[in-house]
Amino acid sequence: MRGITKRFPGVVALQDVSLHLSRGEVLALAGENGAGKSTLMKVLGGAYPPDAGEIHVDGAPVRLSNVRDARRAGIALIHQELMLAPNLDVAGNIFLGNEGASALWGPLRRSRMRERAAPLLARVGLAHPPQTPLSGLTVAERQMVEIAKALSQQARIIVMDEPTSSLTGGESERLFQIIHQLRAEGLGIVYISHRMEEVLALADRVMVLRDGRHAGGLDRAEATHERIVALMVGRELQSHYFPERPSAPTGDVVLSVDGLLVAGAPAPVSFEVRRGEILGFAGLVGSGRTELMEAVFGARPALGGSMRVEGRVFRPQHPRDAIREGVYLAPEDRKRHGLVLPMSVAANVSLPGLRRYARFGFLDRRRERKVAAAEVARFKVKTPSLERPVVNLSGGNQQKVVLGKWLALAPRVLILDEPTRGIDVGAKAEIYRHMAELAAQGLAILMISSEMEEVLGMSDRVVVMHERRVRGIVPRAGLTAERVAALMTGQAEAAAV
Amino acid sequence: MRRELGMFVALVLLGVGLWASNHDFLGASNVVNLTRQIAMLGIFAIGISFVIITGGIDLSIGSIIGLTGVIIAYLSGQHYPDNPAAGGRGYSLWIGVPVALAVAGLIGLAQGLLITRLNLQPFIVTLGGMLLLRGVSQTIVGGGTLSLGDVPLANLANGGVLGSPGNPLVPYPVVILFVVALVGGYLLHFTVFGRYVYAIGGNREAAEYSGIPVRRVETLTYVISALTAGVAGVCYAAYIGQMSQQVGIAYELYAIAAAVLGGVSLRGGEGTVIGAIIGSCIMRVIDNGINMFQWVYRDASGARRVFRLDNNWTFIIIGAVILVAVVLDQVAHVVQSRRLTRRAAVDARRTPAEGEA
Repeated sequence: MRGITKRFPGVVALQDVSLHLSRGEVLALAGENGAGKSTLMKVLGGAYPPDAGEIHVDGAPVRLSNVRDARRAGIALIHQELMLAPNLDVAGNIFLGNEGASALWGPLRRSRMRERAAPLLARVGLAHPPQTPLSGLTVAERQMVEIAKALSQQARIIVMDEPTSSLTGGESERLFQIIHQLRAEGLGIVYISHRMEEVLALADRVMVLRDGRHAGGLDRAEATHERIVALMVGRELQSHYFPERPSAPTGDVVLSVDGLLVAGAPAPVSFEVRRGEILGFAGLVGSGRTELMEAVFGARPALGGSMRVEGRVFRPQHPRDAIREGVYLAPEDRKRHGLVLPMSVAANVSLPGLRRYARFGFLDRRRERKVAAAEVARFKVKTPSLERPVVNLSGGNQQKVVLGKWLALAPRVLILDEPTRGIDVGAKAEIYRHMAELAAQGLAILMISSEMEEVLGMSDRVVVMHERRVRGIVPRAGLTAERVAALMTGQAEAAAV
Repeated sequence: MRRELGMFVALVLLGVGLWASNHDFLGASNVVNLTRQIAMLGIFAIGISFVIITGGIDLSIGSIIGLTGVIIAYLSGQHYPDNPAAGGRGYSLWIGVPVALAVAGLIGLAQGLLITRLNLQPFIVTLGGMLLLRGVSQTIVGGGTLSLGDVPLANLANGGVLGSPGNPLVPYPVVILFVVALVGGYLLHFTVFGRYVYAIGGNREAAEYSGIPVRRVETLTYVISALTAGVAGVCYAAYIGQMSQQVGIAYELYAIAAAVLGGVSLRGGEGTVIGAIIGSCIMRVIDNGINMFQWVYRDASGARRVFRLDNNWTFIIIGAVILVAVVLDQVAHVVQSRRLTRRAAVDARRTPAEGEA
């Protein structure tokens, strides 16, 4: 791939990017969000024909103007959101778009597809029979189906976008084995990830993109965490990336959760959080943290146990009840659960407390704007106006609008589920600073995070969950990455509360 | 198939119940009439199922049914020299019917292309088509009716195979449904095309990224839907004989209801041809059952009395049946997912507790 340029209305997503991949090589592609990784991947997959540049596969020039071209050239994509049809079976998904019929009206040869699927499934180590419905498979197993699909097309180049983002530790290990095996078979693999440990463990070479340009390449020997991050952000990470926090707060308990049993969880959960405290929740994706918080917020039924807010019994049946008590949730998927994307910044900020801005049922737009303007100023939201639909803001600014929406209501407890997911490094530091400030003002914060650095850098104490149980609560003293990692992967450790 | 099986059982129970209340329900004349009604609905319920399985919707088919009939009446209806506006031009049916079907197919193609090439919403495009085509029918009939008159087409609705002449056992529309079901079932369940229809409904993006010609497949589903509506339109024209602007109004909603009753999900990705037929049967049996149902009892004085359902209740009952069916389906879903959750919890408990506080 040489000199690839891709423009979109208003932006140049890729500027003169070149990429070289050898047989039997794993090339890691790193970069912040918006650096152009996904665009590059889509160019390779034929979804975005490039505006300039050329692509050679095995020395021969190829034109990739649609998905079929890319497949013919031996390139297969594995998207972060798996591209499978849940209503078809495993074999049907593997051969989707490649049924081996010459015409649309050709017969569907199910039994032949099943026969051909079996050896592919064996290669990726999936024990399910080919006629298993896809909906019965875990995310990790579905990913193996995607890989089997790539193999079924005789792919020589496989591009994987954040393949471990929804896998557990063990499942990721299994995936790495498969990647090693494919590399040994002579396939070239482009591995897109922002998890440094994986990049360092897997890659033969690392290529870093920044703002749609090639920011640098590192060989296995020279790649270190610091050097990759330095290339990604274009500067060395500031030492006070995480704000200084006073020592563990000793204020009153704001929220206490006693023996809360969440539907689907095997055991009840207890914890408490004090004024001014940031309580981290560490764990792998699927460890039950989000479900627990949804129960605290009243969005998911609790089967047992009790909760208290400032000593009063708190039994939320609906998010309304939680909001009335000043317990707010900034959800993980802010685009779906946190914001009404086509609505303006002002309307999003005012939404949960809309009644306060109404007089006799009529909306007092001046008050609405005043409150929204105050929150925009507090969080320094970069928006040209309060009327701008939030869909047009960047991820970091969207998250600030979510925070502003709750802060306008004077919260007691703020639950942040993956507060910096999908936000670039600069905006992250800002979010961290705001969190520290809010805590200093006496707010209790529950922070779910899958990023170890964030958990270690921000939390006063850390609740570690694994398979929907609390495995331990680690205080700031004695908080180490190793200890948290051991607990969250379910490795035995003496209870530490 | 769970939904189809459940609905089939419901259908059988319904039939047995109606037969118990009134043995005429399974009498020859009612059966012939009922199967004819089922067949005419089933034909286009199968067609719209293709669209619904891709996650789309087609609101124009009632108007297409009306328009095909009007075109046939206009071209091939008997010519009345003294009153030309009351009938047609008197051309051969071999001209009228193919032209009407071709128009139906082209309408489907046009709507499909608008939806897929311009990325328009199926609801809006076919709503526009529904109104526009209804207007075209009105303009052609000029507000009155067009009589087919004495043309052999009437035989299509009233004639049939088996049985004695004049007293057919299987009406022709049932034969047509059989053919449509065979062709439709083959397309949907045994060809690559059918697989793509399901894939698009299951995960459109995945279909795109699998290199499936999504737009072509989707366009074809609208052509299929419109064509089956055209075929049904021919049957209705034969059956009614007098084409007015009213023919086919709201039929798209019957077809959607029949498909949904038979397990075709409006979320896309789910449904079968046999399900669409079972759904059509249920719709028509209820319709017919409201007429047939009777309850013989003796009142306080011992006099024999017969309770019958009021015809005006038809829509209330059909509406209620649809709501009950989707509620039951949803309950089944919830129960199933609860069971899965519970199983997962049990599995989790079985793993030894490590380092737990």
